[in-house]
Amino acid sequence: MAVITELSHLANPLASSTQLETSNSQLDGVPRDLETSIRYETARLLQAAGILLRLPQELVAQSIVILYRFWVGPDGGSLVDHDSTDVAAASLYLAAKPSAHAVSPSQTLQVFHYLNQTRPDYAGAAKQDVPPEDIDWHLSEGDLETARNRLYKVESTMLRVLGFQTHVALPYGLCINYLQTLDVSSSTAGSAVAKRAFAHLNTALFSPQLLYLTFQPSALATAAIYLAARETGAGLPETEWWEVFDVDREDLGFLVVALTSVEGFATEEKQRWGQRKVPLSVEELQAEMERRTMLENGQ
Amino acid sequence: MDKRHPSSFQQLEKLGEGTYATVFKGRNGQTGQFVALKEIHLDSEEGTPSTAIREISLMKELKHENIVSLYDVIHTENKLMLVFEYMDKDLKKYMDSYTSPATVAGTSPRGALDAVTIKSFMWQLMRGIAFCHDNRVLHRDLKPQNLLINTQGQLKLADFGLARAFGIPVNTFSNEVVTLWYRAPDVLLGSRTYNTSIDIWSAGCIMAEMFTGRPLFPGTTNEDQLLKIFRLMGTPSERSWPLISSFPEYKTNWPVCPTRELRAFLPQIDHMGLQLLAQMLQMRPEMRCSAQTALQHPWFAEHNARHAQQQQGPGGYAAAQGMQQGTGGQQQGQQQRAF
Ligand SMILES: Nc1ncnc2c1ncn2[C@@H]1O[C@H](COP(=O)(O)OP(=O)(O)OP(=O)(O)O)[C@@H](O)[C@H]1O
Ligand SMILES: [Mg+2]
Repeated sequence: MAVITELSHLANPLASSTQLETSNSQLDGVPRDLETSIRYETARLLQAAGILLRLPQELVAQSIVILYRFWVGPDGGSLVDHDSTDVAAASLYLAAKPSAHAVSPSQTLQVFHYLNQTRPDYAGAAKQDVPPEDIDWHLSEGDLETARNRLYKVESTMLRVLGFQTHVALPYGLCINYLQTLDVSSSTAGSAVAKRAFAHLNTALFSPQLLYLTFQPSALATAAIYLAARETGAGLPETEWWEVFDVDREDLGFLVVALTSVEGFATEEKQRWGQRKVPLSVEELQAEMERRTMLENGQ
Repeated sequence: MDKRHPSSFQQLEKLGEGTYATVFKGRNGQTGQFVALKEIHLDSEEGTPSTAIREISLMKELKHENIVSLYDVIHTENKLMLVFEYMDKDLKKYMDSYTSPATVAGTSPRGALDAVTIKSFMWQLMRGIAFCHDNRVLHRDLKPQNLLINTQGQLKLADFGLARAFGIPVNTFSNEVVTLWYRAPDVLLGSRTYNTSIDIWSAGCIMAEMFTGRPLFPGTTNEDQLLKIFRLMGTPSERSWPLISSFPEYKTNWPVCPTRELRAFLPQIDHMGLQLLAQMLQMRPEMRCSAQTALQHPWFAEHNARHAQQQQGPGGYAAAQGMQQGTGGQQQGQQQRAF
């Protein structure tokens, strides 16, 4: 089996334990569970925007990771200071700009404005698959100008907080490499495994455990393949093949559990919020926090 | 976050002006160390320029002795400044100001470098490129102005404003890259699926230029650039380059030029050097050697042997390198946060 070297260069900076312990938002009084809900909802918003803008999934994934990097840790951005819709728009704009799929500020803003209005069912809006140019946008020229300036400002803040660390190593390419190495990609069953594995990698983006900030792409790719092979019944080597990719059994086990629990988490979130909107702006957040305080104090 | 104010660097004379930045010599107020300050022009059209985002995010990861070090980024409301290690001059200026013993003796043209220097520069250039490619980064804009030389004779790659990380598959890149003279024929032909081989072509052009003191293919337009290449390398055909007619810029009315011996143009290069150059200046991208292969070429045998020795020895070159990188403590000035 060919061992792929040079992996260290395809690595990501991972979140430190201090960063994972507490966030700036929590220090500002945002309850952890509410923060988790907002982060998840914002990632969904980003994914929907990526679909509407017809961006490659790699770019959407990169945007979501950039978004998470910004919010994490005591010196990260705070939900009390920035509307998460703004941060989501800036993440996408920022990730796309130096790539081959740059999106104009107005396109970005229009799409986010549109999705914001269709909340909480923008996933449905994205699925309608309307070409971007056919959508009735409603964002006036004046509003656009204001929004554009805000976008540049948030972008600049994000770059500062991120220390320009906008490059994200993703597991998709590795995943294909590994499947080839394991000799499962060529068969018909192989393509089913690949499809499932990619689905798991996309699911992992929404994990409340911030898997893309806590594990390297090699581990994510390995776990996705492991699960996919188990689900499709594709044969993998009897040996502890993941070790070839520098992943130990413990990490693999953790990731498999984490990946399989995302669906449950998503269902819970859906039940919890129902038709209520998850607060995605500073104003909505403040209202939600007040509501909670009132409930706690028995009205 | 970095609270350092730009004024902790004293701004000295201008070193160069590019399309998106002005570069000044600077002095660190605390350590007295010289630095290069690259001040990014901010316009209101796109927010933070994509060139700056590319350059900074890539330079933060690419740490190598043949790649110019980014020490720090100073980012305030209305200013973006990159602090680089200071280099004496770029290769273009180096060649312009160079008089080799052979030039004095009248056996070598003006601007040409001597063979020993060229080999050393080429070895360092290929090491820098190999490191980029191993890290899945294409430079895309290699030219003498973007290669920097310091007083110790070290060569380092600079200006990663056009560089881009590549994934799998590599395609649909904009074809508006690489200064015309060093641009690979496949890019000139409109290919959008280019890869690491475009940097190898540029390196070949630079090698020839160091020997002659003149650019190898000084084209004025896309078309003229292609014709200049054909005049030397021969006009490609379906036979010499299968599927060439499917390139967007393919023309049926190209003048048919025969392939000529590189030697005729470059009498200065020794036999082995010419052999390596021929592997880099292949018309078809898939025929061009990789940076790693180039480094293994016998032309570099001495350099590789010396390098291997220094890597082993305790107080050798490698140790000196380590010291140099540690000076000034600038590296620590970067953000503590990983992101
Ligand atoms: N670290 C350095 N030390 C000394 N001189 C430098 C340094 N960096 C840049 N220069 C000088 O400044 C010039 C312009 O720098 P650079 O190529 O980085 O700018 P640019 O705006 O990206 O240029 P381009 O027009 O090629 O995009 C270089 O050609 C070189 O002469
Ligand atoms: Mg330049």
